[in-house]
Amino acid sequence: MKRKISFEDKAVTALSYIFMLMLAAVIVIPVLNLMAKAVSSSTAVTSGKVTVFPIGFQLDTLKSVIVSEKFTSAAGNSVFVTLIGTLIALFVNALTAYPLSKKNLSCMKAIMMIFVFTMLFSGGLIPTYLLIKNLGLYNKRWALILPTAINVYNMLIIKNYYESIPDSIEESVKIDGAGNFMIFIKFMLPLSKPVLATICLFTMVAYWNDYFSALMYIDKPALKTLQLYMSEVILEAQQDVDTATLDDLMNISGESVRCATIIAATVPIVIIYPFLQKYFIKGIMIGSVKG
Amino acid sequence: MAHIVEKKSKKIKTTGKFIKDFKLNYDLYLLLIPGLALLIIFKYVPMYGVSIAFQDFNIFKGISGSEWVGMDNFIRLFHSEEFYKIFRNTLVISIYKIVFSFPIPILIAIMLNEMKKIAVKRVVQTVIYLPHFLSWVIVGGIFTTILSTNGLINGIIMDLGGESIPFMMSNRWFRSILIISDIWKGCGWGAIVYIAAIAGIDQELYEAAEIDGAGKIRQILHITLPGLSSTIVLMLILKLGYIMVEGQEQVLMMYNPTVYETGDIITTYVYRIGMGKMDYSFSSAVGLLNSVISLVLVWGGNFLSGKLVGKSIW
Repeated sequence: MKRKISFEDKAVTALSYIFMLMLAAVIVIPVLNLMAKAVSSSTAVTSGKVTVFPIGFQLDTLKSVIVSEKFTSAAGNSVFVTLIGTLIALFVNALTAYPLSKKNLSCMKAIMMIFVFTMLFSGGLIPTYLLIKNLGLYNKRWALILPTAINVYNMLIIKNYYESIPDSIEESVKIDGAGNFMIFIKFMLPLSKPVLATICLFTMVAYWNDYFSALMYIDKPALKTLQLYMSEVILEAQQDVDTATLDDLMNISGESVRCATIIAATVPIVIIYPFLQKYFIKGIMIGSVKG
Repeated sequence: MAHIVEKKSKKIKTTGKFIKDFKLNYDLYLLLIPGLALLIIFKYVPMYGVSIAFQDFNIFKGISGSEWVGMDNFIRLFHSEEFYKIFRNTLVISIYKIVFSFPIPILIAIMLNEMKKIAVKRVVQTVIYLPHFLSWVIVGGIFTTILSTNGLINGIIMDLGGESIPFMMSNRWFRSILIISDIWKGCGWGAIVYIAAIAGIDQELYEAAEIDGAGKIRQILHITLPGLSSTIVLMLILKLGYIMVEGQEQVLMMYNPTVYETGDIITTYVYRIGMGKMDYSFSSAVGLLNSVISLVLVWGGNFLSGKLVGKSIW
């Protein structure tokens, strides 16, 4: 016999729906506000009338942002860093995790500690900056790729996954005389597809969103990444409120340019994100808790 | 005596085992080289470079040529009032973040669990996870836009008859803005761990509770929350471990000189002094102190979580 649904139960359910829908609204509205501002006329934007619906719809600001050379060059740099960086980082982390997953080999635990220690302690900002300069990587895109290529946290997630693969599979291959590197390429990598897909996505997002490395190691305009370029647009707009009147004359307000830049950089993420969502969630389940 | 012999033979055994392991699996050890090389160059060399914290570093002379000054930079640090200000800001902002933003993902997970309409639930989940994937540059841009004097929030305030508030310039508001934007960006994503933990709770417990006549609230208090407790402890300890280094990009994107008083934290200060004023040695000293405190916190946190809930990061 099922208990009658009480008032309390209904109230809890109703409150949950109300609260969660409100939260979703609070998250969506600021984004919609920026979208609306990006496609509204600049007079409407500067007057502060635009809420979540565009006023005086126009796409000129957005177009001018996207075709501007600074934006395309920055986007190109970000794509380069993200693609090459992800390839290198994924390979290195997957490769390093493989020998480290062989716990009974001597010295592996000690080597493991060498890796783990870097999660605890870092030399810090300035020593790293001086190193990049000394290596001649300053103002090179490699400075945005290599220092973060080995990510111990991601590497540990991959290592844990390898450990869950039964040894018997490897041993049967070993009898056929395959070397460890071939086993890694031909068996471990394909068998670890789920975890590698997740780490691949984590790494891509990290490279794409990385702003601080570019701020530290890049000042050549042609090498700026999208995040760095965007931060300059945003911080500039924050400072020169005085020039707003001048911009008004040119019919493009600083604010609508800023909004258009943010939206132009956000929309690609918003579009691909739902497709990637399930991998991310799987990944956080794999990585969050180590028994 | 017997003990010593045993120890000795054990030592021979381990070196012997290493040689044997290495001969059999030398290619496995070789696979470590790329990872180790990157690690040593980009993580361990800067640890050696931190010695400039004890020097009066001159970029033309390098580490080997610069003059050693012992603890001078640290003495200067402890005598500077600015340091206490940023140290306090770092702690206060991090602790506020833990107090206010830590419980929200737990609440979200519990409420999502009460939503039985799959379609609605899915839409809500998709929306609330999204901000996690936006960079702090974008989130900073969004918040400076909606909080500007002619922005969305001030529009609402003025429609309600209030006076517009220069949020981003206000020391009264800046910390709240940091915490709110932190919640905005991370609360949905933070809930995933708890959603997974709730999924792992035995459903029979709820059925039994229902037969005993327990309502939803009591089920949440006596089944869901206890089921989440070990995850909560683990997440809390992890958070505590990172209080000194958290929030750098966020603050860099959102602050300006008018709110240094309440918003400047150690990591942004290190950046400003080091890169802006080129005071490499002093900046490294601040950074080193911060790294040491973090080391103790992270290590201690991991140790604690291992002891308390039997889970740890490594």
